Amino acid sequence: MEKNTILSSEQITQDLLPKKFGKIGLIWTTTLVIICLIGAYAYFRQLKYGLAVTNMRDYVSWGIYISNFVFFVAISLVGSLITAIFRIAKVKWATPLTRIAEIIAVSAIVFASLIIIVDMGRPERFMNLFLHGRIQSPIMWDVIVIATYFCISLLLLYLPLLPDLKILIRFKEKTTNSLYKLYRFQGSFWKGTREQFKISEKSINVLCITIIPVAFCIHTVTSWLFATTYRPGWDSTNFGAYFISGAFLVGAGGVVVAMYVFRKYYKLEKYITELHFENMGRIVVLLALLYLYFNVNEYLVPAFKMKKSEEAHLASLFTGDFAPMFWFAILVGMILPIIILLFKKGRKPFPMFIAGVMIVVGAWFKRYLIVTPTLLHPFLPMQEVPANFHHYFPSWEEWAIAMGSLAGALLVITFFARIYPIIPIQETITEQHEEQEHQ
Amino acid sequence: MKSKNINNIGRAILLLVMAMPLGAAAQQDSVKPKLLLNVGYYMNNNQMMYLLANTKAKISGKFKQVPGIAVTVYLDKESPDQLIGKTITNEEGLGKLIIPASLKSVWDASAQHQFIGSTEATKEYESATAETDITKSKITVDTISDGETRKIAVSVSAYNGKDWIPAPDVELKVGVARIGGSLLTAGDEATYTTDSTGKVSAELLKKNLPGDEKGNLILVARVDENDTYGNLKVEKSVPWGIAVKPNEHFFDQRTLWSTRFKTPIWLLAMAYSIVLGVWGTIIYLVFQIIKIKKLGTSGEL
Repeated sequence: MEKNTILSSEQITQDLLPKKFGKIGLIWTTTLVIICLIGAYAYFRQLKYGLAVTNMRDYVSWGIYISNFVFFVAISLVGSLITAIFRIAKVKWATPLTRIAEIIAVSAIVFASLIIIVDMGRPERFMNLFLHGRIQSPIMWDVIVIATYFCISLLLLYLPLLPDLKILIRFKEKTTNSLYKLYRFQGSFWKGTREQFKISEKSINVLCITIIPVAFCIHTVTSWLFATTYRPGWDSTNFGAYFISGAFLVGAGGVVVAMYVFRKYYKLEKYITELHFENMGRIVVLLALLYLYFNVNEYLVPAFKMKKSEEAHLASLFTGDFAPMFWFAILVGMILPIIILLFKKGRKPFPMFIAGVMIVVGAWFKRYLIVTPTLLHPFLPMQEVPANFHHYFPSWEEWAIAMGSLAGALLVITFFARIYPIIPIQETITEQHEEQEHQ
Repeated sequence: MKSKNINNIGRAILLLVMAMPLGAAAQQDSVKPKLLLNVGYYMNNNQMMYLLANTKAKISGKFKQVPGIAVTVYLDKESPDQLIGKTITNEEGLGKLIIPASLKSVWDASAQHQFIGSTEATKEYESATAETDITKSKITVDTISDGETRKIAVSVSAYNGKDWIPAPDVELKVGVARIGGSLLTAGDEATYTTDSTGKVSAELLKKNLPGDEKGNLILVARVDENDTYGNLKVEKSVPWGIAVKPNEHFFDQRTLWSTRFKTPIWLLAMAYSIVLGVWGTIIYLVFQIIKIKKLGTSGEL
């Protein structure tokens, strides 16, 4: 909230209660649904004809799907940053952003899990992982840690929501019958007693402590899927830290974009203030510098040595087929946002929004660059293979499914914002009272 | 005055020298690079016969393999009934062809043959032709083992239409096949040349070579790119090596690469303790939610 502006509980409640979609909201939602349906049709074709509809072949067997998976896992880490780390550090200003961060985390992790199954030619064999899985395999660790992170994130979304559910139930006239039933099912037992608050607070603290190592594990394990494979570009001991720093950056970038959109659409200027953008801007610039530092390590050191086996891979990134995308990801995803956010004017809402979009888009391409070029440059030369095995560009089905999954994640966030308060009402009221008493 | 003239001549030469690369570059832009076509004849173990068409071009002063070129190859004359086939060169500029059964009578009719290859002009390259003459030939490998001494006797024979006659002065490699397709030469010489009887004898100087599980080594006699006979290769298995048993040191042990039932204990302990620790916390938190629910439904304040 703007400093020195004390708002009444009633006004806060009225401002933050979920609202029906307006015209723009309907267009946005319909567009996302259409993209999802196109993706679903493309997946139907993949199920019917097999992975042959994709352009993945013997060498590039991890294409846009796995890039998308890494992107989703990365962006999901923001839940642990904004909610857990800030909460434990008692960073009060971040309260309005916690739910935004948590829903981004939950929707991203759901679609990370789904996209892994999409990558399987025979999805019904997914069960074999549990029936015949080996704990020695990093893929197994990834499945375990994703399931764990999903459950913790869901709990971290649900527990702080309980006091708000009581408010939503109180304002029955402002909601539909089915939503009212949903609220009652989820939170009718919350009376707001001291004992309930005490248990809830304690549980949230336990969750915040638990989610941090799990979040680190989820992305470290994802990085190990690559780093435990001896290949140019992946053979790095630095991959865990490199992935985590990138994940925090894209997650924070995603939150900035969501902050701007929700603020603008729901007119939340009193709750998501310029101070929030200023503070987030400082965090994002720090994270971008950190990620840039890891990128320098990941590319400059191998480039300095230029081992014969890695030469083709590095050349393809620096000056070859992937060079435009590589330099786009570095410039747009890191350097330009750093330049924008270093200046105070750059940390205003709109420039921050632009920087956030640049970070998220750059990060998506960065994941593509981590996965695909390496696969096109195996240590042993490609021999006796058709010419198209030497290149990879996703088929329309792959694009449709990948875009469908991104639209699906946005749709989850959109529906969540339609059903639940995107800024915690009860916590905002409590903080307002505390501020009032302080004054 | 004289020095002024010399200066002028010097300037003219300098200009000419500087202009030469420009002229050459302009010429290069207008002229397509010359495509070099070669059709190689390969015979393995005196049975498996095939042709390899190779396309390359000199680009920026270096020979580079040219992929994607359609090569047509005929046997003896360019007529449709003597067409061996068409192939498109791969990334390495190579295209493989096998002589079809329909040309068996033509093949059997003569001891000498000619392979005629041709390519059509493309946007990048002019058309190219190649002719390769070969005489039918074969290699036989025999071994002589006398106590410590082990010799490889190789004879190369050419077909004259009726009989197999010795092929003298043929350069060939004799040795042992190693992993990855390379050849370990038998003696100190890199190559051997057949004598007037078409024979070569090479003593295997390398001792204690590791063989397969039964101690077998693969002896190889190979003629590479011979103008008369093409490429010939014969292999023979001999029990001259040391039997190497597969390393079973790790068999049935708990390792990172074992089956799921042989997971290392330390990994199991780590994984299960982490999983149980975290999931124990999650279950505890679910019970806390149930507790909150009970408090709410019982109306306790």
